[in-house]
Amino acid sequence: MSAKLSKALEYANYRVTLNNQHEALKAKAQSLLSYSVNGGTFTIDRELITFCKTLITDKVKEAVLLDIYNNPIKVDTKSFYAEIKSRYFEATNEYYAEYEKLRQARSVHKVIDFNDF
Amino acid sequence: MTFKKNSKGILMFAHNNDEIDYFKLAVLNALLIQKHCKLKKEQIAVVTDQASYDWACKELGKRLINKAVKHLIFVEKDRQFKYSNIRVYKDTSLTPKELSFYNRDRCDAYDLSPFEETILIDADYMILSNKLNDCWGHNNDLMMSWDYKDICVDRELPSLHRISPLGITMYWATVVYFKKTEYVETFFNFVKHTRDNRDYYRDLYKLPGSIYRNDFSFSIGAHMISGLQDKGIPELPFKLYKSFDTDDIHSVESDNSIILYLEKQRSPGDFILTKWTGVDLHIMNKWAINRITRKFFDYVTTTTTATKTTKRKTKKATSTG
Repeated sequence: MSAKLSKALEYANYRVTLNNQHEALKAKAQSLLSYSVNGGTFTIDRELITFCKTLITDKVKEAVLLDIYNNPIKVDTKSFYAEIKSRYFEATNEYYAEYEKLRQARSVHKVIDFNDF
Repeated sequence: MTFKKNSKGILMFAHNNDEIDYFKLAVLNALLIQKHCKLKKEQIAVVTDQASYDWACKELGKRLINKAVKHLIFVEKDRQFKYSNIRVYKDTSLTPKELSFYNRDRCDAYDLSPFEETILIDADYMILSNKLNDCWGHNNDLMMSWDYKDICVDRELPSLHRISPLGITMYWATVVYFKKTEYVETFFNFVKHTRDNRDYYRDLYKLPGSIYRNDFSFSIGAHMISGLQDKGIPELPFKLYKSFDTDDIHSVESDNSIILYLEKQRSPGDFILTKWTGVDLHIMNKWAINRITRKFFDYVTTTTTATKTTKRKTKKATSTG
């Protein structure tokens, strides 16, 4: 096999590994962006955060929100908002840190971030 | 079985065969559950048989088993079933093996569970996060997933979405959350009826192969209790991630991080690496887990001991101070 071809294959392998590792990171972030409370489960996203902020601005203390199963769940808006906001930034900051590390990785062993390298 | 009110816990089934030490996997998983979900050993139950337990006592020692699990529930194995339910296990696609697969009593989870709220999991569903805790106190009495995600992105196995090509949606019995209610009891009665009348249901639902699978029984039970509607039982509040028996494990990095070899679908025997961290994962290659259990035990037991020592030191310092 020519050196040029083997280099190309090595690069292809790196791209596949990188792509897969991106998905693994995404899976972790998505898992952290799910929040269960009062018997319901919510996906934390910008829409939910903004909606809760609006409720607080309108001085609504308690509200019924539809969770991922479309079940109505009563929540205390202030504590719910504080919790989802904190979880959102915790998850996205972690995602960002890992993503940046991955972005700079230029070989398979750096993508996987082996301890023994 | 009687249960305490408001009790909640995890239930696993562990029946060893000639090569796979399911009990060891259950003990490892119990320690991971204690570590990540902050549950006590009183909240973990393992259904097993005397032979599997005796082997584990020799291999692991009673001390470690007692540290991991409080409720050991012993059942008698149905010998005829044991020798008739033979499955092809793979330690990657290069090493297929035919071994006995004893999974008959999983349908009895409702009767065997000592908890009011139970999460039934496979012994090889490795707990690397606290996501299971999202189930406790849920509005839904029964939850299990039909959707799964392969951790190898470009691998697609369409045969795993339905129990047969034109059949009903396949639910995965890998993780099942249930409360002890009349509704759930009826569901488990359907599941047991499916197990006890396999030939009838195999014809009715066009089940492939001759092996008994709980995924099929639970899927048929779900279909029946939903009034023959598809996807009638709600999914778990988290995604079910899977690796397959064609994959292997390279190493364990910490108590919540594993590096795996994933087999490329279009070139069998060729692998890519991936690092999996902080999300629960179903690892179907049992030999691969068994190969890394020692390292995993080291991580889990060391951190638990270290935390206890620190706590003891703090307590001593407080009392002398």
